[in-house]
Amino acid sequence: MARVKPKRHGVVTDMTAMCDVAFLLLTFFILTTQFKKPDVEQIKPPSSISEKLLPDASLMTVNVTPQGKFYFQPVENGSERMQVLDNMGKKYGITFNNNEKVAFTKVQAIGVPMSQLKSYLNMPEDEQKSFKSPTGIPLDSTKKELIDWVEQSLKVNPGYKLAIKGDVSTKYPKVKDLFEGLRDIDFLKFWLITSQEGKSNE
Amino acid sequence: MAEVQVQDKGEKGGKVRSKKQSTRVDMTPMVDLGFLLITFFMFTTTFSKPNVMDLGLPAKPKDETQKPPPTEIDLTNSISLIIGKDNRIFWHQQDQAGLNDQTLNETTMDREGIRKVVEQAKARAKKQDLFTVIIKPTDDAVYKNFVDILDEMAITKNERYGVTDIKPWEKAIYEKKVGGTSAPAPTN
Repeated sequence: MARVKPKRHGVVTDMTAMCDVAFLLLTFFILTTQFKKPDVEQIKPPSSISEKLLPDASLMTVNVTPQGKFYFQPVENGSERMQVLDNMGKKYGITFNNNEKVAFTKVQAIGVPMSQLKSYLNMPEDEQKSFKSPTGIPLDSTKKELIDWVEQSLKVNPGYKLAIKGDVSTKYPKVKDLFEGLRDIDFLKFWLITSQEGKSNE
Repeated sequence: MAEVQVQDKGEKGGKVRSKKQSTRVDMTPMVDLGFLLITFFMFTTTFSKPNVMDLGLPAKPKDETQKPPPTEIDLTNSISLIIGKDNRIFWHQQDQAGLNDQTLNETTMDREGIRKVVEQAKARAKKQDLFTVIIKPTDDAVYKNFVDILDEMAITKNERYGVTDIKPWEKAIYEKKVGGTSAPAPTN
């Protein structure tokens, strides 16, 4: 009844310090975050107990889809990518113009045979993204294009590392072909991408 | 303290407060937003990095002359794991002569199964430091099984393991075991 407006000021705290910390952390996380690029095709890696994280230094990745198609993801570095493309072009007798080279530096992963690479690179960018290759990069006893990609990349910089990302349901013979191919070019150390045990990654 | 500018509702035209208007801003929404973004970035950073597993392959012998002579492995010092279809796994410690339907054992892909088998076989080995696991995935195996077994090697701390192709005589027994339905090249 007594209209003595109680002064309720006690609970209000000075939030300046909290705000400072919050934004400091925010800046840190923004700067350190690297967004995962969308995969061309959904690949669910098998789980393992390994806690080693994938290092991102000059890494190329081979993706093996559940159907056994291969995708090759060259290193991030743009100028080195161009050299890789040049080498591959030389090997297969294809020359690429500057537009195609630029497109190649932006491409996420290649999943077409060399014969179709030129037309693939000439596609508009968003069409490229949604393009699902019916074949992938060929790899069998006669056509070892995938291995050539790895080999030519290593020629540009022998320090490249290779990671293999296979799907849970990929058939083993496909992986074996890849391993055998890599043994042929004496490239024997690489990583298998796995997800953490107990975590159903994506 | 930080607070919203006190809205003096009815007193607008009334007495002019000489009290100094506080310059403090309410930072609650800002802090809220800050923490929301922090959470977002924290989650994206930790989850985007996949784990990796090392794998080294043996070098291919350049030519026949360089091929090392076939090493004699004491059968008790090694175990062969055959990865079959439908996540089935078989093991044996036999050579060609000793392998038959009875000596090719099936086990399961989990802690109770394969891990025990490997551990027991290791305990039985005459020279434990030479104990070798030979992994032989068949063409029916999927990549996951292969990684699981490599993982198992890491768990049981077996440094000595090798991946090779299945031998024809093992394959024959294996196919008999999984059932005659499996054609030479089953594709499902």
